[in-house]
Order: sequence, then structure tokens, then C-alpha cells
Amino acid sequence: MHIQQEMDLYQKLNILTDAAKYDVACTSSGVDRKGDGRHMGNCQAPGICHSFSSDGRCISLLKILFTNECIFDCRYCINRSSNDVVRTSFTPEEVCQLTMEFYRRNFIEGLFLSSGILHSPNYTMDLIYQTLYKLRNEYHFRGYIHVKAIPGADPVLIEQTGFLADRMSVNLELPTAEGLKKLAPNKTRQKILMPMRQVQAKMQENQYEVALYHHAPQFVPAGQSTQMIIGATPESDYQIISVAESLYQKFELKRVFYSAFVSVNQDALLPSLPGGPPLLREHRLYQADWLMRFYGFAAGELLNEKRQNFNMLLDPKCDWALGHLEQFPVEVNRADLGELLRVPGIGPKSARRIVQARRFGALDYAALKKMGVVLKRALYFITCSGRMMYPVKLEEGYILRNLLNVKEKLPFEVQNYQQLSLFEDIGAVKMPGQLTINA
Amino acid sequence: MDNRTIFFCEDSIDGIFTAVYDAWASRLGLGNVTVEVRGNQTLQLFAEYRQVETDHEKAAKVAATIQKRLGLEDYQVLYQAALSKEADKGEAVFRTLVLGLAEVKKKNITRNLGNPAVMRAFELSRTVGFEAHRYQMFVRFRELENGVLFSEIAAENQVLPMIGEHFSDRFPMENFMIYDRQHRDCLVHPGGKAWVILQDMDLEETMIRNYSKEEEKFAALWKGFVSSIAIEERANPRCQMNFMPKKYWKYMTEHDKRISV
Repeated sequence: MHIQQEMDLYQKLNILTDAAKYDVACTSSGVDRKGDGRHMGNCQAPGICHSFSSDGRCISLLKILFTNECIFDCRYCINRSSNDVVRTSFTPEEVCQLTMEFYRRNFIEGLFLSSGILHSPNYTMDLIYQTLYKLRNEYHFRGYIHVKAIPGADPVLIEQTGFLADRMSVNLELPTAEGLKKLAPNKTRQKILMPMRQVQAKMQENQYEVALYHHAPQFVPAGQSTQMIIGATPESDYQIISVAESLYQKFELKRVFYSAFVSVNQDALLPSLPGGPPLLREHRLYQADWLMRFYGFAAGELLNEKRQNFNMLLDPKCDWALGHLEQFPVEVNRADLGELLRVPGIGPKSARRIVQARRFGALDYAALKKMGVVLKRALYFITCSGRMMYPVKLEEGYILRNLLNVKEKLPFEVQNYQQLSLFEDIGAVKMPGQLTINA
Repeated sequence: MDNRTIFFCEDSIDGIFTAVYDAWASRLGLGNVTVEVRGNQTLQLFAEYRQVETDHEKAAKVAATIQKRLGLEDYQVLYQAALSKEADKGEAVFRTLVLGLAEVKKKNITRNLGNPAVMRAFELSRTVGFEAHRYQMFVRFRELENGVLFSEIAAENQVLPMIGEHFSDRFPMENFMIYDRQHRDCLVHPGGKAWVILQDMDLEETMIRNYSKEEEKFAALWKGFVSSIAIEERANPRCQMNFMPKKYWKYMTEHDKRISV
């Protein structure tokens, strides 16, 4: 039984923002929608961030819970039913008003609406649907909307909501079904995957509708995403990226987000993390995620049954390249795009620039540098017109020591972590080249 | 140092394009001429300066030629480069254009990043593009007493022409203004009409501080939202400043110290 007192909008917004902040996704990407010349709002495919909070995360959407009341008791969640926190709910009207007024002032790209489970999944999903309906049809909002599909809600409700939103997401919560069973007793893997599959199927169907009838309403045009918590359960990095890979392939997700576990509840089933959230691990997983989505890597290439976790000292791409020195050096003026993408220090942008620029003539190292190639990393792996930048040995130990010297540009919060753990982890780094150097 | 002829022009797109036209038509040899915008640079001793009168017809011809012969992608790059604050932008635009017109078979000369002149134009364009994007992100409107949405910025490059389309498309029926204190330009969009840029504007300071009744409320709500969304355990001010350098904070509602939460 909750005792409720009247709260003003300011208090409500603070409580329901605070309760929503552990959701990672705040992207406004994936859909291009021009303005219609009359109503407010448009969308740009790359998305636009509007601010950055003091933890360095981007603020693109008005990220709130509709309500923080919840009948579920997930161990890791601040809003679990057994927690004694102040509970409150918005009305659809309030959400619409906040969204419109914030949007007008260029604070946000749109709305991210999630919710605790009030009464039942259906009841909650219906409230969300009504809010979006009002926002789209009464306020004529044309900006971005990201909405949560509530697992266990009626498929009809989810489908109708999907026609109003740009992106939908169902959180996988934990990488494996066992972890979920342990920490989220009210949820099952199957219940989470069902709406995901439904949204995927409807999106495929909708593609044909839109192709046939140009003005057919679009269903979740920016695709769906999900997130999982890292470090609350004992999965390995290999398991996690394999799950991510199969989500990309089998469920056609646009994004998988990784959220370093932040301990908000005292619970015997949760790990205590004296060093704070595992941020460096989260960073490595994002790097691997990018390698899978933009660089053509498969999960099995980065890690395998024998090597289950990422090297904390070296980014996954350098790590991979050191293990595959037989594929290097690569001739920048001739290699195809796929080969260039596998060189540490060359990203999708610089790779594309190289391919376009070399049609006009051979490139030299000065030009590569200006194009954005990180030469201090790339120089061990490339030749330019047959020459290496400096006379370097193509030898694992030698390159490894030099790469560790140049210091990877890590996000600030994990830099300290790296310094601390340097000596613990050093045993894990294999240095086969060491012998030859000493000799 | 060199005795080139420098076509000295007004610091605007049309000014630069007119100078490009005149330099090309001067028949002095393409290696002997260049384009420079008037500013407070030191003049070169042995160079000959020719003052260029901005001519919108000539500028339009140059723009059309770039679009036709080099392509839209190149036009975008050269246009953006011409908005830069750097003194050598005239030279970079002119050299790139000369190279592009010499390539008869290929378009998109701005992809030829191996060439230093093209690389310079590309760099200028990229810097301007980044800044324009930053202002798409960080412009903050305050609602004035009369319902007008007002925003001020202090941009290094001339970004207003690049963000006008974005905001008019987004807020078609709103009356809004974006004032660039650095260049004293003001982008004005009357609801339902096209946007214009007014030059050499000074604004009445009391008028732009006269907020509407609701404004304080939403500014405070927003400031509260920004502080509640941060996760304490992940606090990382350096990362925040990397993405959002402090020079932008001055005119942002969430960093306005006058608003109490």
C-alpha cells in the first residue's frame, strides 16, 4: 500500500528521470523524416545529441519512466517492488506537454518512454499507447519517439504502439537465460524474445506495405534495440558478444547496448563491486560491437572457446591484428576496403577516404595522417607505395610493446582503472616476442 | 615574397565567388593569381591587390559551374570552406576549383585528398561542418514575452547559413531568431515563411531578457532533468567536456546560473 501525496511536475520529473537513468539507449538515429511545413518536428538519420550529463553520456531524448510503480521484483533494479522508494506516475497530458515544450526550445530530439509495470503488462502498455497517440495525433509531434515494448503485453497493443514510435526496444536484461532466472524471477527469456520477434516480423511485413503503398503508415522505422547488464552475472565476454551477434543476425536489431552493472540494491544474489561499475569491460564490449557492425568482424574471430575474455590492456582490433600478423603489412594504395578496415588505426571514414583519394594518385604518409589515419597504431601494419613508415619489425612482442607505449585514448573513467590493474593483468598478456628481444 | 595578383574581396560566399570569377577571367595565368578576403591581415609587399566589387550574377555563375562540373558534393565542401574564419580560405577554394575544372573526366575533385590544396579546403569545410553541427545540438531557445523563440550564440565560423534550413524545417510555424554575437548576424524566421539573415545587427538587451511567464518553469524543469539523468557512480566531467566544450556552455539553459532548481 503506497501513501501518495500530491506532487508538482518538477518533483515528478526528477523522480521519474532518476528512475529511468539506468537505461542506456539515448540514440535518436535511424530515421530521416522531413518537416511537413505545418507541424513541429523532423528527424535526421544520424541522430542529434543535445547535451551531455556530468557522467559524459549524451542526452538526446527526454528519457523518463511513465511510472516507477512496479509489480516485478528484479534484483538489480532500483524500482523493484520490494524497494521503499517514492512512487509516482505521469499523466499522458504531462508527458506530451513536457515533450513539446522541451522540443521547442531545442533541448531534445524527442521522447524515450519506458515504464515500470503498473497493475499488469497490458495496463501499462495501454497507458504508453495512449500517451503516444496523444502526442502524435493531438499535438502532431513529428520528432523522434523511442518506446519500450513491455514483455507479456498483448501483441495487438504492441503492434499499435509500433505504428506511433520510431524505435522500439525490449531489454534482454541479462545475457543468459540462467542469469535472468536468478535475478529477474518475474521475467523469462521466452517472454522477452517474443515481442522482439513480433516487432521483427511486423517490420519485414511493413517494408512490403510501404513499397506497395507509398503512404502506408510506417512500423518502427528506426528498428529495434536492446540492452544487457554486464557484470551482474558471471558470463564471459565471448558469451556476451556471441549473444549480441545472434541478436544482430537473427533478430535484425539495430543496436545492442551494454550497461556496466551499477550496484543500487543490497542483495545477496548480486556481486559487490568495490572498484565501481566494470567500465573498462563495458568499453571493450562496445569496441567489439563496433567491429562486428562496421568492420566486418565475426564474434568468433575476436574471441573463442579457449580465449573467453578481452585483453584489458589492448583494444580488440589491435589484439586481433597481433594474432594475425601473417595478413600484414597491407599496401594502402592497393588493398580493398575490407582489408583496410582490418588495420588498427584505420576506421570506416578514413578507409573510405583512402579508397576515393587514391583514384587520383598514390598517397603518402602525410596525406594519410591528414585524412584521419592514426599512424602511431597503423604504422606497424601498412606500407605506402611499398615502403613502411619506419623500419619496423613485423613481430608480435615488438609491436605489442610499442602499442602499449603509445597509450590508447581511453575514456577518462577507465584510464585510472587501467593504471591500477596494469600489474594484476600483466600475466594475462602473452609476450612470445620477449625471448627474441632478450637474446 | 611573390608578385602574384591578389583579388581582394568581401568576406562572404558571393564575395569569394565573385573574386574567383574575376581571377579566372583576368588572363594573368592561373599560377599568378589568387583570392583573399579582406580582413585585418598584413598585406604582402610585392603582391598587387585588386579590389573586387561583389557581383551576385558572377557569383551565381561560379556556383552553377561548380555544381555542374564538379558536382553537388564538391559544392557543399567549397561552400562550407568559404564560411570559415581562416584567412587562407579564398586561396583554398580557388586552387581546388582550378584543379577540379582541369579534371575533365572526373567529378568530385574534393575526394582527391592527396593534393594539399584540396586537403586544405576539405579541412576548412570539415571544421565549419563540425561547428555547424555543434550548434544544431547546443542552440537553446528561450521564449520571450511576445512568444518569439530567441537564442544567442558566439560562433567562430559563419554557421548561420548552415543551420537555418534545419531549424526552419523543424519549427515551421514558430517565430524564432538566432543571434550570432561574434559576427553580429541574426537569423530570423517568421512563422510559416522563409528564413533570412540580417547583417550588422545589434539587439536591445532588455528585449531579449524579457521572458514569457512559462519560460522560467520550463528552464528549471530542464535544468533539473539534466542533473537527475546523470549516474553518480559513472561521474566523468572530462568526458562531458570532450563532447561539449565549455565555450558552448555560456548560452545553454542547463548551465545558466541564474536559473534556480
